[in-house]
Amino acid sequence: MTTVDERPVTAPEPPEPELPRARGLLAFLTTTDHKRIGISYMATAFAFYLIGGALAMVIRTELAEPGTQVVSQGRYNEMFTMHGSIMLFLFLGPFAFGLGNYIVPLQVGARDMAFPRLNALSYWFYLFGGITMLTGFLTADGPADFGWTGYTPLSSIVRSPNIGGDLWLMAVVLTGLSGVLTAVNIVATVVAMRAPGMRMFRLPIFTWNMLVTSVLVLIAFPVVTSAGVMLFADRQFGAHIYDATAHDGVVGSPILWQHLFWFFGHPEVYILVLPYFGIVTEVLPVFSRRPVFGYAGLVFATIAIAALSVGVWAHHMFVTGAVLLPFFTGFSMLIAVPTGVKFFNWIGTMWGGSLVFPTPMLFAVGFLFTFLLGGLTGVMLAAAPIDFHVSDSYFVVAHMHYVLFGGSVFALYAGIYYWWPKVTGRRLDERWGKVHFWMTLVGFHLTFMVQHVLGLEGMPRRVADYFDSDGFTGLNQISTVGAFLLGASTLPFLWNAAQTLRGRLGAPAGDDPWGGHTLEWATTSPPAAENFEGTLPPIRSQRPVWDLHHPDHTTIGLAHGRERAGAARRAGATAAIGGDPGDAGRLGDGAGDGGADRPPHGDSDGDDRGGDGS
Amino acid sequence: MDHRAESLRYGRPVRPPPAARRVVAVAVAALAAAGCDLPGFGAPDPKSEQGESIFSLWQGFFVVAICVGLLVWGLLIFVMLRYRRRDEQIPHQNPYNIPVEILYTVAPIVLVGVLFGFSVAAENDVTELDPDPVAHVDVIGFQWSWQFVYTDDDITITGEPGEGPEMVLPVGEPVQLRLVSADVNHSFWVPDFLSKRDLIPGVDNEITVTPTETGEYVGRCAEFCGLDHWRMNYTVRVVSADDYEAWLDDQPRGGEAVAVDESEDTAGSGGAAAGDGPGGPTGGGGT
Repeated sequence: MTTVDERPVTAPEPPEPELPRARGLLAFLTTTDHKRIGISYMATAFAFYLIGGALAMVIRTELAEPGTQVVSQGRYNEMFTMHGSIMLFLFLGPFAFGLGNYIVPLQVGARDMAFPRLNALSYWFYLFGGITMLTGFLTADGPADFGWTGYTPLSSIVRSPNIGGDLWLMAVVLTGLSGVLTAVNIVATVVAMRAPGMRMFRLPIFTWNMLVTSVLVLIAFPVVTSAGVMLFADRQFGAHIYDATAHDGVVGSPILWQHLFWFFGHPEVYILVLPYFGIVTEVLPVFSRRPVFGYAGLVFATIAIAALSVGVWAHHMFVTGAVLLPFFTGFSMLIAVPTGVKFFNWIGTMWGGSLVFPTPMLFAVGFLFTFLLGGLTGVMLAAAPIDFHVSDSYFVVAHMHYVLFGGSVFALYAGIYYWWPKVTGRRLDERWGKVHFWMTLVGFHLTFMVQHVLGLEGMPRRVADYFDSDGFTGLNQISTVGAFLLGASTLPFLWNAAQTLRGRLGAPAGDDPWGGHTLEWATTSPPAAENFEGTLPPIRSQRPVWDLHHPDHTTIGLAHGRERAGAARRAGATAAIGGDPGDAGRLGDGAGDGGADRPPHGDSDGDDRGGDGS
Repeated sequence: MDHRAESLRYGRPVRPPPAARRVVAVAVAALAAAGCDLPGFGAPDPKSEQGESIFSLWQGFFVVAICVGLLVWGLLIFVMLRYRRRDEQIPHQNPYNIPVEILYTVAPIVLVGVLFGFSVAAENDVTELDPDPVAHVDVIGFQWSWQFVYTDDDITITGEPGEGPEMVLPVGEPVQLRLVSADVNHSFWVPDFLSKRDLIPGVDNEITVTPTETGEYVGRCAEFCGLDHWRMNYTVRVVSADDYEAWLDDQPRGGEAVAVDESEDTAGSGGAAAGDGPGGPTGGGGT
């Protein structure tokens, strides 16, 4: 066992020949480095977010009062279609993939992703897919205007003849392909590239969630990609797959599109939130000085959410009259159970902790308060009869923004503030961070809380205008004011980011500014090209860096709620991460005696070395 | 096409076994009794029997949601205040508490089971088709208005974009609506009835509406259907039985039906169709 430990483990590939390293923009154009690709992903996704946000400002301005304010009805339909498409296809998912690209290899102790060139290819597919979608704005008839769900027959060539619709479809296909390739890469990285001792049940939760998300992508994205190709064939090659009119006695089916789209669309919702759940699960323990509470339960809850999410697509179709209601109601409601488990895990993590509230923690806690409301309205929407009233109304608009903004975007900002020091070497400024948080929180609730009421009162979604007599004006004005505040909340963040990058704000971070738990905090900020200097000693627990810094308070070997930190284990913990390779032999011996510092289901030592999981 | 829609349609709801039904019935009664004094929490007062079922279900769900929400928010606020960092001591590191974990897994399952029971009961109420409706109305949606055809009396009322038609219904009587789309997807929604159903080419949808109060109610299209979707409104006027009979007698018989897409050959055939404008209201041409 000692001899195995001395093997250099983090550099399986032979060192590359020294070539002149590209700098600046060229470095990003030519890179296959997971960190640079990750940054490219996140920067691109954030740029799309700003565009999508600008469209949202136009939408809210237009709805501020009855009558035409800034855009015509046709333009308005383009605005909300592109707003939804950009946010869902080009922002939230790709940003999560970018973050996963950057963080996952670091957290599993790998040097890069499993397939670096494929990784670069995925990014370029994504970038050009996104540009393809936006070029709709440059065409004479404007971009797609049939809603981000692209329901047939409205999206057929007869009803939507503009070329923007075709560009939209091609963009969906391209970004879908990009997502599939990235998912393959992440799965391969997590399964095959883990450092010695990094078993599956020692993976940080963020990495777990990226893994489960990737599996969901592999299930869902091929469906929407092929559905998109079929619609393209309908539009351009005279196929009649989604066409209800008879041709030589053969009839297509418009509702087929809804089935295919939502078979992608519902897992997609979890693809857009699970990575962000992961961020919150990284942030809460660090700023509570506690381990993740109920780690195993949390992992199984994530898997359960993913599994259930594949079987509930038709709850988006309750009012179509074409689906079996009780089955989809029951399954959809069941998702509340693992989601509830997660909530209690998060509370349990903070329970008894030592809490501080720098900006990442503020956003994580803001996420808990806000996302809860989205979850509760989600249970309501799972009940088909309630759906009969609120489906396709502003209630649904409010619900989905509570989930995807109140949930995902809050967690996304938590992740940005949390990992920014690791990526750039400097912490973002705290004062501007707090301004950013409070503007976002107030602006968000002001915008979307009232939309629940608007929906209940009868305001349908996707309306370009409404009548004075509808009585929707007051609440819409509140919503618009909130939206401007929410839009403005991005400015302090951009200022903070720009000034910190120039070194005028913030502070140098060091390797581990927050007292982090997971492996990325064991390397330099920013990490070197090969991520970790030298070799990593075998991983002994779920939070190796914490164990290194707090040898008296490890949870190594803890099972079922009893804290048993012995002196021998303390020594082991120190060596587990910080010890030089020479210590590893002693460490290995320590692990051997009695097996006290293994997880409850600990198996042979060989597993620890191979990193092939449990 | 039709037979598939037929077999999946929820006009024939899945019935729970008798015992379960009795439990659910009692629970619904309890909920309804409790619901009498509750406000609507934003939902309009229901003006149809079907709407009443949905209304009480909504009240029940809202109360449960508020309770769960307050519990979780309360726990969060407590944790944030109680465990704020006061010194540099390292807190306890227990990562598990199996009994608590079991509790917070099982309790939601039970809660969700109860909610599911209520939901299925209400759903059966709402989707049940009355065997003996007083009138049959074909509701045909097109870009961008509606046509109402009283099939028993051969009355056709057609709206125009921006000028919605009026549907007249007798109070207290079940009316069966057959929902047909002439072109793209639409959705028939009268917010005061708290219920909607889609109109989708190739899907046969029928619902029963039993209005409970006379008055004029705004109807809307809830499914995005293109340029004038936002103003594809109509009026549902609920009147007494006598007024209804009088109204029927006043209406002219016959009238031109809106063409339904099935009879046209409008499907995109390559680039040729790309030149067509978006289909406007497809008036004229009988079905």
